[in-house]
This record gives sequence, structure tokens and C-alpha cells, in this order.
Amino acid sequence: MIALSDYLTVAAILFGLSVVGMFINRKNIIVLLMCIEMMLLAVNINFIAFSHYLGDVTGQIFVFFILTVAAAEAAIGLAILVVLFRNRGTINVTDMDTLKG
Amino acid sequence: MSFEQIVFYFFSAILLLSALAVITVRNPVHAALFLVLAFFTTAALWLLLEAEFLAITLVLVYVGAVMVLFLFVVMMLDINTSTLKERLGSYLPVGGLVAVLAIAVMAAAVGRDHFGLEQYAAPERLAADASNTRMIGEQLYTVYLYPFELAAVILLVAIIAAIALTLRTRPGSRYQNIDKQVKVKRDERLRVVKMDSEERK
Amino acid sequence: MNFEMPNFALAMPEMFVLGMACLILLVDLFLNERSRVVTYLLSQATLVGAFILTLSLYTPVRELTFSGTFVLDPMASVLKMAVYAVVFVMFLYTRSYLQARQMFTGEFYTLALFGVLGMMVMISAHSFLTLYLGLELLSLSMYAMVALQRDNRVASEAAMKYFLLGAMASAMLLYGMSMLYGVTGSLDLGEISRAIDEGEIERMLLVFGLVFMLVGVAFKLGAVPFHMWVPDVYHGAPTAVTQFISTAPKIAAFALLIRLLVDGLGGLQSEWHDILVLLAILSISVGNIIAIAQTNIKRMLAYSGIAHAGFLILGVLSGTAEGYAAGMFYVIVYAVMGLAGFGMVLLMSRAGFEADSLEDYKGLNQRNPWFALMVLFIMFSMAGVPPFIGFWAKLAVLQAVVASGLIWLAVLAVIFSVIGAFYYLRVIKLMYFDAPADEARIEPGRELAAVFSGNALVILAMGLFPGALMAICIQAFAL
Repeated sequence: MIALSDYLTVAAILFGLSVVGMFINRKNIIVLLMCIEMMLLAVNINFIAFSHYLGDVTGQIFVFFILTVAAAEAAIGLAILVVLFRNRGTINVTDMDTLKG
Repeated sequence: MSFEQIVFYFFSAILLLSALAVITVRNPVHAALFLVLAFFTTAALWLLLEAEFLAITLVLVYVGAVMVLFLFVVMMLDINTSTLKERLGSYLPVGGLVAVLAIAVMAAAVGRDHFGLEQYAAPERLAADASNTRMIGEQLYTVYLYPFELAAVILLVAIIAAIALTLRTRPGSRYQNIDKQVKVKRDERLRVVKMDSEERK
Repeated sequence: MNFEMPNFALAMPEMFVLGMACLILLVDLFLNERSRVVTYLLSQATLVGAFILTLSLYTPVRELTFSGTFVLDPMASVLKMAVYAVVFVMFLYTRSYLQARQMFTGEFYTLALFGVLGMMVMISAHSFLTLYLGLELLSLSMYAMVALQRDNRVASEAAMKYFLLGAMASAMLLYGMSMLYGVTGSLDLGEISRAIDEGEIERMLLVFGLVFMLVGVAFKLGAVPFHMWVPDVYHGAPTAVTQFISTAPKIAAFALLIRLLVDGLGGLQSEWHDILVLLAILSISVGNIIAIAQTNIKRMLAYSGIAHAGFLILGVLSGTAEGYAAGMFYVIVYAVMGLAGFGMVLLMSRAGFEADSLEDYKGLNQRNPWFALMVLFIMFSMAGVPPFIGFWAKLAVLQAVVASGLIWLAVLAVIFSVIGAFYYLRVIKLMYFDAPADEARIEPGRELAAVFSGNALVILAMGLFPGALMAICIQAFAL
């Protein structure tokens, strides 16, 4: 039998990998956007696994909404990326020096 | 090992390997394609969890629309991959250690001690004619009416924002004005010129 | 399946704002540049109408509807009305700024109104689901507003940073929510609270979820160590947008904190208390110290905002009704002061000149003594000098902290506030004792000058009579 913990572990590793991805890919914004998608995917796996093992459909409803919002978020993120590219001609984050944190 | 377990480990392994590939490959197009693979394998895992509706949605919406959008942008922006190449180097040792630690802690927290089969027994399989879509729909349009409307508003905001940010009307660009085309009258296009006949030379 | 027909009347303000935002979107299509003012007037009318509706729905009890995803209580009503008022004043401030920069478009107003709707949803949320959706509605509107000036290179960079960090914070918050859903089996804040109180769930698992959620919330609040985006975004965004994102959303963030930690995870108070203490100390110290090194006034106000976020957290962490009331008082006062602070940058700027360097304030007293006096009021209030309102806000929070027995924390907060007073007083020194670097006349429109003066005088008036607002805040948590 597959235990709930197996699914949760897969999701945790996926989440961890995406966070790591955000740190090692600091330069390439498009990959950063993909890492955000993967983080949300990990969260969704969590919700669906819980939903199945709790016998409660609510978790799946939440995933429905996360999918919707994530699609909207991707659209806005890519729109901002396009604006940025038009202004700068690059999406290399290290070139973003106008603002220093 | 049961068949289910084999399926689970097979797809989980591909999922995690493709996730690893997304964050390490150099070409953004390859990264996008690996992410597509990750979405497909996740959909397979969701099918194992009897979430059929969401599994199909994931493939249709994410692979079919969102990832296509990503690929569009990658191609449109014509990103020079060579300038994005040098990386990993200095972050790798420290970052890798922190990452392994963080993942280990997270995996321990969600491990068999807390979420094993004793705490959460595997539920009975649903009947073959149980409709996942119906279950979700019944909840969505009643109990979750308010969030459902909010999701619609969020999509509207995304449309407004994407158009406001990227739509450009260049002064020189030519496009069809269908309104004008339809409204056109014969007199505007055809002018009958009266002239005397000329002698052939 | 048991389903009760929701009481739609309770959500009238939300429906009104949504309907008007869609109407404005349509009306704006048919307007040309000269009649665009109609969009502006309709937006203001929307806020006034929503204010009246919310006021008429005010009840001293707690009402749930939409199957428990929506809650209306006194706190929700008061915070919503504060949001409308703050955004109303923000629209008054920014009109001439937007007109001078080709940003006076329908999109600015519709996105701002959708942002307001997002804040209202967050304030009235009684489920993880509605909290998340409200938060995203607000965040997505704000990301787009920061990038709205499309040819502004700095703004688009700021928008990208804001987006990436904001989306990551949302994902963290969601991961925490998924863990809490898994162990409690519900998304409803009331049921989660009940499940925790029963005490059968292992604390460790709850805390695991809580930590992720707090990381997400701290990001959104701009608390140290998750504050990296704040100065860049405040600096990079057009000043009008900075004024929006630095004021009203803080009120919504306060509601988020209360809904999550008090309504949902009240049973975990001993756990989140310690984490909040850490966040508060770090925010107050780092915010005040780094603000001293800034030469750009928008960055300085950003770090000052981080320090103020720390004070807001101080109010919440005491875990008592008085503490929450003090936190609420603080966040409303902060929004009023933030309006004035960025209003001063708007006032000094003109087309092609942003007036965001501290140098630009040199000798303001010689150029315009009245405005210098108003800026003096604002700076004194932010620094927490009596009798201005900022003093009472700090005092209320510190009293709550002392009452909960954390005297050392209150002392630390006072020490860092005194350090922080330095950079506010430096602005005053520049205004009164330095020779002006720029002799150009300050010619804001009559409207802008009136709003600014009114805002600064309100800070003084509220400081002289702080009792009324404080009474409202205490009433809100008297349930």
C-alpha cells in the first residue's frame, strides 16, 4: 500500500527543489517563474493527497482555485517580464542594478 | 510490490528527476519542456489519488495553455542563452548543503511517523461509477459560491493587467477596420467617370 | 447535502465595488482623454457608496454567511471603512501626478478598485480559501499597478522583484495552509480553531504548518528578515502607486494576521508568540537603523514602514483584546501618516522631476514655510513625538506589550524608536537650517495643496483627540 506520507514526501522534495531552483537560477527570470509553478504544484499534490486520505473533497476544491489563480499569476508574471524585456533588452537578473536592495 | 506501488514510484521518480532538470538545464526551452513532463507525471499521481477532474484540468490548462504561454514568451523574447549560462559555481556547495538539510527536515516532518498508514489508513477505492467531477461541482456551486465568483474576478484582473501592460498600438501599424469595411457604400468605392471616347491610335 | 441559502445582503459592499469596477471598466472605453475625469469621479463615488453601505451594515455581533467563508464583525466593518477612506484620499492626492505622467487611465482606477475588493475579501475572510483569494486579488492588482508606467525601466524592475518574491511568499503560505488542512481536516477558520482546542493533534505538525504560513505573512507585511522587496518596490514604483501599496494594503495585512493567528490558530498562541517577538524586534531595529543610511526619501520611508510593521506586530503578539485594538489603532494611524509621507513627495514633484532625494527638501522653509510646517507635523508624528497621533499609536502598543509582561521588549522598542527619530529629525533640519538646493517654486495644484494640508492637520487633530478612534478600535474587539 502507498501511505499518505509517500505522497507528502514527494511533494516536500518537489517544494524543496523549487526553492533551491529559485536560489541557483537567480539570473534567469523565466526559470524563476517555472520554479514558482513547481512550488504551487507541490502544494497541490499535498492538498489532493490529504483530500484523498481524509475522504473530504474540500482539498480538491482548494486545488481548483490554486490552479485558477496560478494561471492568472503566470499571465501577469509573463506580462511584466515582457515589459521588462522591452525596457532593458535582457532578462538577466544580475543586470538589474538600478535598484540595489 | 503491488502494481499501484510500481506506478507510484515510477511516476514519482520521473516527476522529481524532471523537476531537477528544470532547475539545472541551461536552455529555458528545455526547462519548459521538462516542466511539461513534470505536469504530466503529476497528473498521473493525481489519477492514483482519484482526483480525475483535476488531473485532466492540469493537463489541459497547464500543459495546454500555461506552458504554451511560457514557450511563446521564451521564443518571443529571443533570449540569448549564452549570457545566461555561467552559473551554479559559487552557490553550489553552501546552497546544496542548505537545500539537503531543508528537504531532510521537511521530509522528516511529513514522514511515516506522522502520516503513515496507521494514522491515515488508505481509503477504500470509490465505486467505478463514482463521479469526481460531480462531487466537485456540487460543492463548488453551493458551498463555495463566494470563492468561485472571486476566482472569476481574479481572472478578470489578470486579463486587464496583461492587456494594460503589453498592448501597444504602434502609430505606423496597419490593420483591418471591419466596422468601416462593412459600412462601406458603393459610392465610396466606385466612381463612374464620364468621358468622351477617344480615338484609337 | 446540507446547503443554506447565503445571506447576500451582508456582502453588499463587495458586490457594489465589484459591479462599479466592471461598470467603470466599460464606461472608460467610451471616454476620450479630456473626459477621463468621469472615471475618476465614478471611482470616488464607488468608495463613498461602499462606505455608506458598510456603515449601514454595521452590527455589534459576528455574522457568518456563504457557508462560513464570509464573516462580518465590527473589526471587519471598521477596517473596511478605513480602507475606503485611505484609498479615497489616495485618489485625491494622485490625480494631478497621474495626469502629468500619462498614467491617468481607466486601468489605474479599475486595478485600484479590484485591489480594494481584494482587501475587503481578506478583511471579511473566514476560511483559508477566501483569505488566499483575497490576498491574491490584492497582490495581482498591485503587481500590475507597479508596472503600469510601461516605459519606466526602474518601475518594471521593481514590479518583477515584487512579483517574484510575492509569488514565492504566496506559495509558502499555501504550503502551510495545506499542512494545517491535512492535520485539522478543514479550511474553515472556526473549525480549525475547534480542532486545535481539542488538543488531539500533535503540536509539532501544527507548528510545522504555522512556520510556513508565518513566513508567507511576514513577506506580505514586509517584516525583517523578509523585507528585501520593500525598499526596491517603494523606490521603483511611481510615487502614486507607492502611496497606494504602502497604506491601505497594510490595513488588510493586519486583518490577515488577526484572521489567521487569532481566529484560526488562537490555540497556538504560545507558539506564534515567540516567532512574532523575533519578527518585531528585527523589524524595528533593522528598519530604523538602515533608514538612517538612506539618501532617497522613498527608500527612507520604506525602511520606516518596515519599522512600523514591527510595531504593528508588537500589538498583535500580546494576545489580548487590548493588544489587538492597539495594533488596529496603529495600523490605521500608520496608513494616515503613510498617505501624508508619500503625499509630501507627490507635492514636491512635478512633471519630469520626482523630488525623491533628501537633498530636494533642503531649505523648504524658505521656499514655502506653510508646507515646511506641514512636513514638520508629519515627521514629528512618524517619530512618535507628542502631541501628534503617532505618539499615541506607539504608546497604545507599548502599553499592551508591558501589560503582557514583556517589559524588556517595550524598552528595546523605545530605544530603537529614539534611534529612528534621528532620520525624521534630519529631514526637519534640512528644511529649516540648510540653504535650498533648488530654487524652483513649488506649485502644486490647489486641490493637492488642500489635501496635503488637510492630511497633516488631521494628524495633529487626531493627536489632540485620540480618544474617538481608540474607542472604535476597542469596540471592534469587544466581542
